[in-house]
Amino acid sequence: MDPAARLGSAQIDVVAQLAVSTVLLGGIYALIAIGLTLIFGIMRVVNFAHGEFLMLGMYLAFFAFTLKSIDPWVMLPVALVIFFAVGLLVYVLVMKGVIHASHNVQIFTTVGLSTALQNIALVLWSGDYQLFRPWHASVVLRLGATAFNLSQVVAFAVAVLMTAALFAFMKFAHTGRVMRATAQDRDAATLMGIDTDRVYRLTFAIGIACVGTAGVLVSPLYAAYPQAGLQFVTLAYVVVVLGGLGDMVGALAGSLIVAGVEVGGSYVFGTAWKEVLYFILFIAVLVFRPAGLFGQRGAESLGV
Amino acid sequence: MTADRWVAAALFTVAALVPAVVRDSFILDSLILILLWGALSSAWNVAGGYAGQVSLGHAAFFGVGAYAAALTSARYHHSPWLGLLVGVVLSLVAGGAIGFLSNRLKGPYFALSTIAFAEVLKIVASRWRGFTSGSEGVPVPFRPGFWTLGLGHVQWVYLALVVAILYYLLQVYLERSRIGYQLAGVREDEDAAEALGIDSRRRKVQAVMLSAALTSVCGSLWAQYVGFVDPIHVFSIDLSVRFALNTIIGGIGTALGPFLGSILITSLETYLRATFSGMKAGFGGIYLIIYGVVLILVVRWAPEGLTGIAARFRVRRADAPA
Repeated sequence: MDPAARLGSAQIDVVAQLAVSTVLLGGIYALIAIGLTLIFGIMRVVNFAHGEFLMLGMYLAFFAFTLKSIDPWVMLPVALVIFFAVGLLVYVLVMKGVIHASHNVQIFTTVGLSTALQNIALVLWSGDYQLFRPWHASVVLRLGATAFNLSQVVAFAVAVLMTAALFAFMKFAHTGRVMRATAQDRDAATLMGIDTDRVYRLTFAIGIACVGTAGVLVSPLYAAYPQAGLQFVTLAYVVVVLGGLGDMVGALAGSLIVAGVEVGGSYVFGTAWKEVLYFILFIAVLVFRPAGLFGQRGAESLGV
Repeated sequence: MTADRWVAAALFTVAALVPAVVRDSFILDSLILILLWGALSSAWNVAGGYAGQVSLGHAAFFGVGAYAAALTSARYHHSPWLGLLVGVVLSLVAGGAIGFLSNRLKGPYFALSTIAFAEVLKIVASRWRGFTSGSEGVPVPFRPGFWTLGLGHVQWVYLALVVAILYYLLQVYLERSRIGYQLAGVREDEDAAEALGIDSRRRKVQAVMLSAALTSVCGSLWAQYVGFVDPIHVFSIDLSVRFALNTIIGGIGTALGPFLGSILITSLETYLRATFSGMKAGFGGIYLIIYGVVLILVVRWAPEGLTGIAARFRVRRADAPA
């Protein structure tokens, strides 16, 4: 049958629903990826433990809800502060010492951090899936022919708000400008009197605050378990590589592309195979445009 | 012979003598695991240590070997040795593909692409139910005999020992042969190596292929020894990290390092598992917390690992006035 003839109103509804789902999901991926790409752009470190902070954020929301019946929305500002502090602490304890070390040292430092955090969660809270349903997870909103729940919409809105705030901070605030200067040229920044250690500390704390808060945001939608970060962070790698490691606008675009591939892929091929799609996309980008779809060519072979 | 070689000779001799004295299956089992982990880490070392191609996706080749052997014996009722060969061929192809495709990538980019590659294989193995039985996994039938790899503990010790010694000798060869020096040149400075007429791309792909095939062989043996293969475990990133962890703790880019790391980490794991097994389920994770912390500390404070610390110690002693 001619495909055009099949596009009745029901199919258009499906397209609309897919588009809305893509955008909602993309917003959340963006918040996860932006921290990763910020840390890479400024510190030149791929944080392989990024997903574990997301997992910790999910557990934070879970325990606040089940033990103290605090809504995850209330936990958002609390999480922001907590994870900023966690970021500072981890930077001072772990990252500070390896910032000028070789790639291998940096890779295995964050890999070791990831292993340790995952298993601390496993020992403390067991490997069970923990899901909770605050009231807003069961409120369904309808817009035209599309439907989505309130938790999703708010998660998206908060994620977009935070991403926008971070953009504004990087663009207009003096500290943001200092951070960008450090990203462009570490040595020149030092010569201009910038305390690069402070910049890295702040960068890491902001990155971790973003991803920890993202964990609280997704907690009503996905179950928390010690390896929960893994599924998101592999996605975040795809997102940031697509957008160009270190490129914040690229990370936004990458989020939407990955969300689109995921939503479209699960519709066409079924949820079972969607992951294969974005990993193949990932490998293809790494192979053909390793600096990202919008990035400068050649960054990958400088090993930056 | 240098000190490292003597230590290796002593370790392998002890391993060979253990089954003559001890019949305790727990100890023999630990010994087999130490040897297999040591061999696997040596295989990783060929790419990650000697050629500087640090992969976090070597579980891909382990899984290919494990599935090849398990499916050949469980589904097609052929000898797992045949499966082992099939695994080697497939891993050579896979290693060649990933090595060729990721050739330009360095540092974290290379690591990311290998992770993605292992993830793709994991998803395929868990979703392709008709062929791999999906996430239920494949039980491997135990049929006594060498040809079917249904061996007793003592025989397994000697089989693993032979593999370990061969891998060790291969690494020694890489340390002193022309190709080994070329790999070291490519690892340290690719441009300089190219300027000296070394085809660095080809050398890197060759190293990854060799490393993949060696990993696959151990994957096949492991599947037959443990008797069960499932995608979540054999393709997991934890496994890939473990290969690297043993090697880094023992001493990356040395022939002895992977074995020293394996002895330390595997005995630690066995000991802590036995100690905490009676307690809450999650307590099995304690040894993994220790791994993570040890990994962070080692790369920061002793990036050259145990062999490096020993060498430093020897130099200091030699410098001291007699």
